[in-house]
Amino acid sequence: MDAAVAQTKATNAPIKVDIRGVNFYYGQSRALKDVTMPLYKNHVTAFIGPSGCGKSTLLRALNRIYDMYPNQRAEGEILVDGENILDQKQDLNLLRSKLGMVFQKPTPFPMTIYENIAFGIRLYERLPRAEMDSRIEAALTQAALWTEVKDKLQASGLSLSGGQQQRLCIARTVAIKPEVILLDEPCSALDPISTAKIEETIEELKTEYTIVIVTHNMQQAARISDYTAFMLLGELIEFGDTAMMTTKPRVQKTEDYITGRFG
Amino acid sequence: MAELTLVQEHPVSATARGSSLRRLARTDAFFHGLTRAAALAVLGVLMGVILALVIGAWPALSHFGFSFLVSQSWNPVTEKFGALAPIFGTIITSAIAMLFAVPIGIGVAIFLTEICPPLLRRPVGIAIELLAGIPSIIYGIWGLFVLAPLLQRTIQPFLIDLFGNVPLLSSLFAGPPYGIGVLTASIVLAIMILPFITSITRDVFEQVPPMLKEAAFGLGCTTREVIRKVVIPYTRVGVTGGCMLALGRALGETMAVTFVIGNAHKINASLLAPGTTISATIANEFTEAVGDLYTSALIALGLLLFVITFIVLAIARVMLARVARKAGK
Amino acid sequence: MSAARMSPLYAGRRRRNSIFMALAGASTLVGLGFLAAILVTLVVQGFGALNPRVLTAMTPPPGSDGGLLNAIAGSLVMTLLGVLVGTPVGMLAGTYMAEYGRYSQITHVVRFVNDILLSAPSIVVGLFVYEIMVAPMGHFSGLAGGVALAIIVIPVVVRTTEDMLLLVPDPIREATTALGAPRWHMISHVAYRAAKAGIITGVLLAVARISGETAPLLFTALNNQFWSTNLNAPMASLPVIIFQFAISPYADWRDLAWAGALLITAAVLLLSIAARALNMKRGS
Repeated sequence: MDAAVAQTKATNAPIKVDIRGVNFYYGQSRALKDVTMPLYKNHVTAFIGPSGCGKSTLLRALNRIYDMYPNQRAEGEILVDGENILDQKQDLNLLRSKLGMVFQKPTPFPMTIYENIAFGIRLYERLPRAEMDSRIEAALTQAALWTEVKDKLQASGLSLSGGQQQRLCIARTVAIKPEVILLDEPCSALDPISTAKIEETIEELKTEYTIVIVTHNMQQAARISDYTAFMLLGELIEFGDTAMMTTKPRVQKTEDYITGRFG
Repeated sequence: MAELTLVQEHPVSATARGSSLRRLARTDAFFHGLTRAAALAVLGVLMGVILALVIGAWPALSHFGFSFLVSQSWNPVTEKFGALAPIFGTIITSAIAMLFAVPIGIGVAIFLTEICPPLLRRPVGIAIELLAGIPSIIYGIWGLFVLAPLLQRTIQPFLIDLFGNVPLLSSLFAGPPYGIGVLTASIVLAIMILPFITSITRDVFEQVPPMLKEAAFGLGCTTREVIRKVVIPYTRVGVTGGCMLALGRALGETMAVTFVIGNAHKINASLLAPGTTISATIANEFTEAVGDLYTSALIALGLLLFVITFIVLAIARVMLARVARKAGK
Repeated sequence: MSAARMSPLYAGRRRRNSIFMALAGASTLVGLGFLAAILVTLVVQGFGALNPRVLTAMTPPPGSDGGLLNAIAGSLVMTLLGVLVGTPVGMLAGTYMAEYGRYSQITHVVRFVNDILLSAPSIVVGLFVYEIMVAPMGHFSGLAGGVALAIIVIPVVVRTTEDMLLLVPDPIREATTALGAPRWHMISHVAYRAAKAGIITGVLLAVARISGETAPLLFTALNNQFWSTNLNAPMASLPVIIFQFAISPYADWRDLAWAGALLITAAVLLLSIAARALNMKRGS
């Protein structure tokens, strides 16, 4: 599959995560077939493809969230800063503090807006109140939510609108200072205006973080990503510069998908 | 994990994170073990109950052997103990209670799910569920002070007269009308398990896919036909499981029965005569039992009761689990 | 419906349907009628016997005035003890089944056994506690009564805790885990919080269940005619006093039994309604 990874203009950017020959199994069924691709530091990579193609599965392998369930396993190598995270000795909680994740549907915790963010920070740091306040403000600002919630930090996270909840989840993720942010179709449950806000937020976050976003929306990938991986039936069909791929894909199947012939 | 790069870029060093996490991970491991121990403690309770009962029952069981199960004598003075009368009483009261409670309980469930005006459905349903929670001693005291005298004055003389000259039935309803006795205990039990049967049956009925019922109604079926040809066949296992659960309760019920059964260690053909059940015998006699053999015989009764109800409840749970799996798919 | 369609066959079906519906309606009337009769008797007899002394005086010897104060106190103490011991064990076990051990073989076995314990005869629990506590200690005690009640609380709390935790959506668990939170942190800070109302409902139902339990107390706590909060001595309880007084030949004892029965039923109904209201709030 290495052939699918095209030489692109930015290969001189450092590789943050190196996915090498990854296979994934749900029990007996193989959901990822020998996937290999790089994720470049401080860039946005989009995983696209029709539903069931394995794009979410691949994302969920990156922070090993699949470990919560029995009968799910990944084989191969995923190197984060050169270290194979599929190694059994990997400390999963530490790994997840480095690779934050935002889910398809907003998942605010049943607590106040303030506590929603403080919760994650407290896992790793004991901060005095003032410092905690400023960390929370910073996180909410990064997620473009601060102006909307600064007067109601003690309100329940569940009282926010869907789009606000999703940005709260992003704030919660950046608050613990991860290095990579994994977004699993973060806009699929949102209206167009909220989607636009989230996209702006992602645009700003990429200066500090390496971002991976799963989306079934080709236009969204084109708008916000630097690199795109097109997947089909568990295989990586094509990986490359987003602008190149959306204008002239090298593989016929990619072109079929992009032009809406299937999927 | 200490050799992670990028430490300079991020104020939280991996080492600091690691130590904070290690502390949390230790707590996690502790609670993993603790919750597991609690889950195993539930198994421990079951094992403990069985073990304690077997040990307590052993003197009586080894002394009387198999005859404990088939002997009718219960004589604390000569220390001759047999469990047949209480076993018989337990089974007969539960059986009669089921005879009354199952049709009526299912009838109420049918009324609630298929006939009842929607406005009444919730209040009646809630009332039934609240009644299922009323302690059995309340049923017992009502049976003793209200139902028994009432039966003594009305139904029992009527039954004795009615069947007085009918062979077989005359011995089943042989007088005198005591008020208390096997029939009265059965009726109190029936009233007590009625809400259980109704609430479980109703829950099972509500799992029938509406499409299925609509299709049958669409063919022009009457409510009766839809229930008999669609709802009941679809829910047979669940309803049977629910009834078994109620039977388990009836077999083990103590207080509702103890008040009104009469506590007589005799197997009498007449349903109007006093009798006893396993649980009533234990409740009435345990604290007054003198002598190790007497106490042991009562514990042996308890063991028997536990084994019988365990089997009935296990069957009920297997059936209900099958229904739940089907509903889950 | 035109007359032509009203064939004899259809008329028969309709007739049978009417009979069937009438029978179902009659069942409801009979069933609810009996239950209503019980409640009405209870209210009439109970209120008739209720007076301030019931709540302020001790249980009397036959033929003299008295109340149920020591029995009420004993019931409260043993119920509290039962809940305090039973709830943590039940919650932890339920937590194992829904969280740590959700896919473990142990969970299946525990669930099966727990469901059986849930409806096992409570008199057997009394015998069990007699064997493990009363006999070795040589005397009946409030402590033994509390332990017997705890054993009845455990399965109820196990069941509701597991059910309520399983209702917490998995994405919330994943989101917490994705922050790097260890499992216990996720459970205690997020899952419990989301399942709180449901678990409290379960505990309330367990309290309702044990506040009327008589059989497990008969040979554990036994009874006590006097005021006692000593857990190491026999202790009175409302249900046992009701049992003792109701089957006695003394009219004033019987009156007190009715008063006690009304108190217990009122307490149980209030608890069940509170549990239900809480559950409703969670649903909305």
